[in-house]
Amino acid sequence: MIKVINLKKSYGRLEALKSISFEVERGSVFGFIGRNGAGKTTTMNILTGLIKFDEGKIFIKGKDFLKHKQEIIKSIGYLPETPTFYNYMNAYEYLNFIGKIIGYDFKKPRKNAGELLEMVKLAKQGERRIGGYSRGMKQRLALTVAFMNSPEILFLDEPASALDPEGRMEMLELIEGLKDNKITIFLSTHILNDAERVCDKICIIDKGKILLTKKLSQLYETYIQPIFDIEFEEDPGGEINLLKKLNWVGSIKESGQRISLYVKDIDYAKKEILKELSKLNTNVASYKIRKSTLEDIFIGMVSKNEII
Amino acid sequence: MRSFKAYFKKEIMESVRTNKYLILFIGIIFWALLDPLMLKLLPIFLKSYLPADLTTLFSTFTRDTAFQTFLKDLFQIGTLFIAFTLMGLISNEVYNKKLVFPYSRGAIPAGIVLAKYIHYAVTVSIFILVAFLTNYFYINQLFTGGVLSIGIVLKSSLLYILYYSIFLSVLLFLSSLFKKSIIAGITAVVIGYTLSIFNQFNTIRAYFPNYLIFKATDIGYIFDNSLIPTIIISFCIIILLVFFSILCMKKIDIA
Repeated sequence: MIKVINLKKSYGRLEALKSISFEVERGSVFGFIGRNGAGKTTTMNILTGLIKFDEGKIFIKGKDFLKHKQEIIKSIGYLPETPTFYNYMNAYEYLNFIGKIIGYDFKKPRKNAGELLEMVKLAKQGERRIGGYSRGMKQRLALTVAFMNSPEILFLDEPASALDPEGRMEMLELIEGLKDNKITIFLSTHILNDAERVCDKICIIDKGKILLTKKLSQLYETYIQPIFDIEFEEDPGGEINLLKKLNWVGSIKESGQRISLYVKDIDYAKKEILKELSKLNTNVASYKIRKSTLEDIFIGMVSKNEII
Repeated sequence: MRSFKAYFKKEIMESVRTNKYLILFIGIIFWALLDPLMLKLLPIFLKSYLPADLTTLFSTFTRDTAFQTFLKDLFQIGTLFIAFTLMGLISNEVYNKKLVFPYSRGAIPAGIVLAKYIHYAVTVSIFILVAFLTNYFYINQLFTGGVLSIGIVLKSSLLYILYYSIFLSVLLFLSSLFKKSIIAGITAVVIGYTLSIFNQFNTIRAYFPNYLIFKATDIGYIFDNSLIPTIIISFCIIILLVFFSILCMKKIDIA
């Protein structure tokens, strides 16, 4: 759906994007994560046609972005991080204004705009001037604007940053719902829990460079930690020494009934662990491979990039 | 066309709600009302302060001179009002990122620029016409003498309308060029005033738009052949500057 090849963008001497490439599949949620100033918003602004780029190629729906920009933009919805409106308008007027630009077929303008506002729980405040809205209310109105005319691709830049916890949950549910409707979502966020919950693919960007692009499931596989967390029904005591003697075991951290088993070869350990645990003279209550969170992976990748 | 329609309506709403209409109305019409009154009342106010031979100077005002005084004041002060009210036509939208949503939803720069230009050109033209007719009415009430007629007033107003249409295109272009609106406003005012210098040079003055202002005050001889190059050049300037404004808007980074 979106293919970016060697995209470069500089602001004077500052290289904001250093030849980045990635691909977003149709109907997927693409998590674009990175620290502040990593190049997330610049990439989004380029992909939504708001700013120019210096080098590279962009293909959206298989079409060259530069050649078919106006046509492509019609199928895009964008929610910027800090949405700005004409503050003297009210929400109904603003929706009608944008509706006119995109040729949105408002059969009954007020009723249709009202339905859109109802969707983001703003119908009651629809008559108020936007200048008096809170940041969260503006974010919700912006979401309505982005959704107008059912775009095929949605660019969401930190969509939950201004929302309260309830609003954030609703936003995530909304994204999950959109995923079911086969809408392609390009989600920029630094709330990693959100990305973990809704994204199919993760792309980590730092200092204008892509550090990693992987499906979330592959990411966990790749960055799995070689640690087994095992809990016994009672303190295993000296039984642990049997495990220490195994050549595939690196070290063991003991904490009462729980131990953390650091292994040298995770794949081999997966095959052997149950066999070895059954030989112990104590019952195992539970065991699991410790999973890396997206946060662990992100911090790891970014720190490595810092050293480089 | 969709962008044009949407922005034309938006400009009307913005002008009403941010009092731009009111400011422009005051800036243009105010002098039409005030000038004749001031000219009539000034000799009365100054009677006790000035020698008798000087007060006779004020009493020699005819309808023609009163009209010319209004034209001069409108050019000097009206230009300031128009420049500083409309200096942010494009720059404010870009600087405050108001165009992010419209552009991301397919707004076309040509539609936006044309809507803004046509809207304010029509607005200023209507206000100028009303100001001229109001001034003519008051002058007829307060002064006598001179050859001033409704025909002359309308001809003169046409030249002012054309001049301010050029001024607006200059303002629009500068507003698309500079990020800060105040720079656009000051530059437009400086250009507007300094070009009047060329009215001193008989051979070349017809090639500068400020000749329109000069001819508008030339009561009795407003329309003559000397205006032909001025009018042609004026329309060329408008078309070129509006075109360049659209070009700037196409090249500008919106976010």
